[in-house]
Amino acid sequence: MRIQLSQPDNNFLSAAEYNAMFTMHGTTMIFLAIMPISAAFFNYLLPLQIGARDVAFPRLNALSFWIFIAGGLFLYSTFLFGTAGAPEGGYLDEEVSRLASAPNGGWFGYQPNAGLKYSPGTAMDYWAIGLQILGIASLVSAFNFITTILNMRTKGMRLMRMPVFTWMTFAVSFLLAFSLPIIAIALFFVTFDRQFGTTFFLTEGGGDPVLWQHLFWLFGHPEVYILILPAFGIVSEVLPTFSRKPLFGYPAIVFAGFGIAFIGFGVWAHHMFASAISPVAQAGFGLSTMIIAVPTGVKIFNWLGTIWGGKLTLNTPMLFALGFIGMFVIGGLSGVTHSVVPADTQQTDTYYIVAHFHYVLFGGALFGIFSGLYFWFPKVWGRMYNETMGKIHFWLMLIGFNVTFGPMHWLGLQGQVRRTWVYAEETNLGFWNLIVTIGAFILAVAILVFMANWIYSRRKGEKAPFDPWDARTIEWSIPSPTPVWNFSKAPEIKSLDDFWHQKYGEDEDGRAVRREGTDELLLKLEEEGLNPDEEIHLPSPSYFPLILAFGLPFLGYAIIYKSVPLALVGVILLLIGGFGWGTEPLEEEFETSEENPDAKESSTYE
Amino acid sequence: MSETHKEHPSPTKYVQIAIVLAILTAIEVALYYTEDIVGALAAPLLIVLAVGKFVIVVGWFMHLRYENSLINKFFAGGMILALILFAIVMIERAVGNFI
Amino acid sequence: MSDAHAYPHEPTGVETRKLGFWIFLSTEILFFGTLITTFLIFKGRDFPGIKLTDVYDIPFTSVSSFVLLMSSLTMVLAHNALETDDQEKTRVWLLATAMLGAVFLAGQIYEFTEFYHKGFELSTNIFSSTFYVLTGFHGLHVFIGVVLLLALWGVGQRQRGLSLNEGMNLEFIALYWHFVDIVWIVLFTVVYLI
Repeated sequence: MRIQLSQPDNNFLSAAEYNAMFTMHGTTMIFLAIMPISAAFFNYLLPLQIGARDVAFPRLNALSFWIFIAGGLFLYSTFLFGTAGAPEGGYLDEEVSRLASAPNGGWFGYQPNAGLKYSPGTAMDYWAIGLQILGIASLVSAFNFITTILNMRTKGMRLMRMPVFTWMTFAVSFLLAFSLPIIAIALFFVTFDRQFGTTFFLTEGGGDPVLWQHLFWLFGHPEVYILILPAFGIVSEVLPTFSRKPLFGYPAIVFAGFGIAFIGFGVWAHHMFASAISPVAQAGFGLSTMIIAVPTGVKIFNWLGTIWGGKLTLNTPMLFALGFIGMFVIGGLSGVTHSVVPADTQQTDTYYIVAHFHYVLFGGALFGIFSGLYFWFPKVWGRMYNETMGKIHFWLMLIGFNVTFGPMHWLGLQGQVRRTWVYAEETNLGFWNLIVTIGAFILAVAILVFMANWIYSRRKGEKAPFDPWDARTIEWSIPSPTPVWNFSKAPEIKSLDDFWHQKYGEDEDGRAVRREGTDELLLKLEEEGLNPDEEIHLPSPSYFPLILAFGLPFLGYAIIYKSVPLALVGVILLLIGGFGWGTEPLEEEFETSEENPDAKESSTYE
Repeated sequence: MSETHKEHPSPTKYVQIAIVLAILTAIEVALYYTEDIVGALAAPLLIVLAVGKFVIVVGWFMHLRYENSLINKFFAGGMILALILFAIVMIERAVGNFI
Repeated sequence: MSDAHAYPHEPTGVETRKLGFWIFLSTEILFFGTLITTFLIFKGRDFPGIKLTDVYDIPFTSVSSFVLLMSSLTMVLAHNALETDDQEKTRVWLLATAMLGAVFLAGQIYEFTEFYHKGFELSTNIFSSTFYVLTGFHGLHVFIGVVLLLALWGVGQRQRGLSLNEGMNLEFIALYWHFVDIVWIVLFTVVYLI
């Protein structure tokens, strides 16, 4: 995309190819990058942070993972099998290349443009059905995480003693649970319009294209909070650790998180200010969008309050967390300018908007994610990443990111239109577009540095102690890499940041003073962590979630190619998976070797 | 199972509840047929009857009346969110189409 | 889950699987809410073409509604029977529920066939699209419920009784079944009667 836009009147990519590229870029980044990485963090950290051994529904967890894999493969199979035709009476070439035979209606699939008449072929069906399948994965994990947080907490882990990352997981799960059903229906409507001749979004049949926008953004707006809240959670763990201070205003951060989630359901039509909505709707949604800046601001001030007066360690996770604050605030400021309806009418569909959401999603969510990846690297792999390479990654990324997305602010205000494959020489947009492209390549180098660091350090990194950062929360009190059973015995929590308080007391001025027994405590924890003295039972592995998950793509292909045999295969896989799972005895997980010496089902650790 | 402490209506009680539901349904159908007599009242009355049946099935058959308040909150939360969101969309579309 | 003695059991006081299932049901509210809202948005619109009111048969649908309502009764009687450990009665009521559900579905299929003959098809116009997709998804949910009920009946039949764990499954299937019934309560009023 950036090569194509580096010069005016370029033809590196055809229009059709460009459309496919920006559609798949958005779709991939949201559904196959940020959401899964956040899900990975939730999966790994949630049980650890609440002191549990596992999630509430282990097989459902596996299902979520396998559906994600199946859905991602299905979506990307469009590059192999998808077709995209030219709309009737349109001006594009009849034949499009393989690269262009991918979904090309934008990640938001506006109707009727992404409907059968203007996007013939199968590519947009791969999009709609692929997203449908991926949605199920996230929905299912939402049930799991909500139940886990409510019912699997260890002794003393009251809700207001949970780490902020856990709270953000909780909020995200509610957002997922209530927004995904809406997009599921919207995607069914699109699939039915394209495949079965219904007229939900076709005015010829009495339908309403704006309905698509409402349904999509009713999901789409909570979705962006789903994308950013995990990063908020990560940063809320990293900043206190490397400021050696407790998080400032813990209750405010927790409630603000839920405030954002709740209000987030009430701002969706700010994506529709330039669509056919009434002035009353515009005013209402403009107002709610301004209001949502308040809890967001509360969090920012609390993070600043955390750093203020702290003893800062500027290592890689901390740098990314600090970078997050800076970049997210910039993105948030441009976001607030969009809430002013008349201003947004100028900004919408320009690169100004592209700048906004990349500042919050890349500068925000992704920086937060990198912070977390580095922060928890030693916990997950038992090794340290290379700090120098980490810093190089950070600086290259910070510079590259701002060089790429900064100029988009004024390019947009000067009128560069988004989602367009080419711009004319006369627009004088060439110079800054070239700078943007150079920035994109700097970013690519930054990512390569990160990948090299990751791959190398996983194998050859220095072995890390289990608490390398002198951290605050209980996941740092168990060995690294974490044992499969997490905790050797159920921890008993006496306060927020319990692990910190086990290590440190306070003097009269409230400053942290290392307790005398702390060295011994750490040795004891390490030893106990690896050698549990009770028998631990973990759920037995199960194939049924995998089988069930892979039934779904078959149903997808069946709908696209109108194939009854494929549908039957899909249904059979679903039935085998479902019934096998439903009749798989739970009891077998709990058989101890005393009760039944022949029990092979459970994985028992002694 | 954690059923030990919960009250359960008896089978007789359940049959009585079912009879009430049947009567409510009969009234609904009657309302449909007497719409010219009842006039504008028909729609609100039908909604009230439907809500009544809804609450009865959820409360007694689905046992929500006797369940932990946490479950009540989830159900109520989902309902309230759905009702508000969809009221906004319906009003917006109604207004949008008449302008 | 594991080591009930070492780990505190369910701090909320609600059984874990039941909690998970109610959360699932709240998301189904959003699912059907969206379908119903879409139907209502288009219901009164001034668009030429055949409407549901031109083809429906209220007496017939009323009987169908009554059947589904009664299946909720048999469902709750099945649950009650299991509570009192009357395995035979449990199976009888389970089967009754499944049968009533199947009768409802048969009624739906008959109804839809009649509508098709009168020219009210899935792709006819927006009124038919919204109608069929809404009632169709409901019907699909009923169908899945019937399959689950028969499966549980079958398990009970083969084992000559349902164990404690399977009893939990009955409770969830019951919740699911009642949910499908309350969706119909709303649908019948909003789609047919008003």
